[in-house]
Amino acid sequence: MRDRDTIRLAAHEVVCNMVGAEVSDDEPLISSGRIDSLSILKLIGGLEKKLKVSIPPANLQPDDFESIEWIVDTIERAAISQ
Amino acid sequence: MTSAAFRIHLREHLKQQNHRTLLRIMIAGEIIELTGAVILQRSVELARRYQDAPEAGVVLLLLPHSVELFLLHLGLILEGRIPAILAWPTSRVDPQKYQRNLLHQLRTLPASQVITLPRLAQNMEPVLSYKVTACLIESAVPFEKAFAVPAEIEASAGMEKHPPAQIAPEGSVFLQFSGGTTGAQKAVVVTAAMLMAQLGRLRECLAFTEEDAVVSWLPMYHDMGLVGCLWFPLLAGAPSLQLSATDWLLNPESLFAHMEKFRGTFCWLPNFAFSYLAAQKERMKRTYSLGHVRAWISCSEPVRQTSMDSFANAFAEWGVNRESLQASYAMAENVFAVTQTTLGEAPRVFARSALRLQPTAPVSPPAFDLLDAAYISSGKPLADVELRITTGEKQLAAAQPGEILIRTESLFSGYWGHGGFIKNALSPDGWYSTGDYGFLADGDLYVIGRLKDIVIVGGQNVFPEDVEAVVNGLDGIYPGRVAAFGVQDGELGTEALTVIAELRGEYRREHAQLVQRDIQTLILSTIGIAPRYVFAVPERWIVKSTAGKISRRETQVRFLQEKDNLVRGILHTEYNYA
Repeated sequence: MRDRDTIRLAAHEVVCNMVGAEVSDDEPLISSGRIDSLSILKLIGGLEKKLKVSIPPANLQPDDFESIEWIVDTIERAAISQ
Repeated sequence: MTSAAFRIHLREHLKQQNHRTLLRIMIAGEIIELTGAVILQRSVELARRYQDAPEAGVVLLLLPHSVELFLLHLGLILEGRIPAILAWPTSRVDPQKYQRNLLHQLRTLPASQVITLPRLAQNMEPVLSYKVTACLIESAVPFEKAFAVPAEIEASAGMEKHPPAQIAPEGSVFLQFSGGTTGAQKAVVVTAAMLMAQLGRLRECLAFTEEDAVVSWLPMYHDMGLVGCLWFPLLAGAPSLQLSATDWLLNPESLFAHMEKFRGTFCWLPNFAFSYLAAQKERMKRTYSLGHVRAWISCSEPVRQTSMDSFANAFAEWGVNRESLQASYAMAENVFAVTQTTLGEAPRVFARSALRLQPTAPVSPPAFDLLDAAYISSGKPLADVELRITTGEKQLAAAQPGEILIRTESLFSGYWGHGGFIKNALSPDGWYSTGDYGFLADGDLYVIGRLKDIVIVGGQNVFPEDVEAVVNGLDGIYPGRVAAFGVQDGELGTEALTVIAELRGEYRREHAQLVQRDIQTLILSTIGIAPRYVFAVPERWIVKSTAGKISRRETQVRFLQEKDNLVRGILHTEYNYA
């Protein structure tokens, strides 16, 4: 399992590529409309590729990707459940 | 058929299907199965518990995907009330902005009652003139947290404009809203006669029987979800499985899993979903057997060749054949379907180069730059439907594109509101000007796009004027200098909502970025759709017509020319921006 800092760094990179700008750890991504609902899977795909992890879709909600901080939690949770 | 006769028919139908599962609803990973008897009993029970409107009174349902939403819709009808389902946000939204806009919307709708989640009901009740009823839905408790803080709404603001309680016109069964998830909702009254005419024609056309089954993730506030995927199978005695749109978007593979498990034979999807599913194939965990599916019907967005091709190619090895890919042209104004392709045959294709464009065409072809070299047929009109293609008063010949006009037995009588029916899109002899642009060839209808400035994002209509009105109220924006429009998203086969707003005063990039974020959040919270591109630009960037009116189309053209630079933060130098 990767540590939180590694995950955070990767999440920043993937999100930054998607929204075209730097974001802070707690900045809203979904409720702000910066990442739309059709793009969440693209975000998940990017994170999986970057971190070489699998994020199973079962029980996922858009809220799980609301900010970098939440993304880190989601990936940690996914890694533990595997 | 009168509404009373319809209620008797529905009641008897559910009784006859006593032990047969007619409805499956997926909630939080669990499937709830409802037989005819259970639907009848629980829907009436729920309606009696929550309804507080007079006979034929309009009851708005503002609820997330839940068993209660489906059963209240049916139960209210059985109890002689007229339900109308409002859009529920598919993801977290800014609660303040959302509630302020919601209140504006609720105040303008003709209704006697709204049923919603407890916290929202608590926040709305003091500022609405009609009844507000709380409905507790356990699976929706997490949604509710966002509304813990009441909206900062002045109770007195607009109170005098509150609508009186509304009684729906004779024969009404339910209302559906045509286009727009918010803003100025256009209510279509669906009568028993319209609904039965529509469903009968569609059943005949699709040879649909109780042996069929529908699987859907489409929301109930959309005609494709409500009529195509709930009422159509329900009255035919066939089961439907209802997934939530949010769950499907995050797990598109679940559609195939349920089509396989429950032997789904029909699946209606907007065009973008064909591309979306194909693009996700690599991530899918297993393979599925889909050879039994009779029809994957593309509906509610213009059908794109690239989307159909990518779906057919991706899933051929799972049994999806070209002949099962179908298309339909549908609209809430006609209850649902207007045309349908022939089952068992691949939709016809028409080369773009073979179009016979009129020199006086109302819209120049580049305005519909659709990326595809060919158009896909939406099929032939259903049995009771007449179609015409016109420009101005002139009826056009085959292969000549123009506005699509329809006349049918299940056509609406105009948008319904406080002043009765607004009939301005209907001619005296019953033709409805759809605002869609297309052509006929060998009896098939091909839909190219919209003449009216409506953006279709993932099958949902968005009115640019709603978006512009919302953004116009923002601090820092030059009032009246906002343009909203769609641009083609070739990858997903849908449109991307785009907003350009002029900043007031001196242009600074940092300030522009802050305003852009504000606009993005505001639009998602109020319109329910996240715009893909938002740019705050200096004054005079937006293109105006010679009459001084903002030209969405010309601004769209300029945006497409300068998009790459805008994304990189570079503004065109010839305009001498600071």
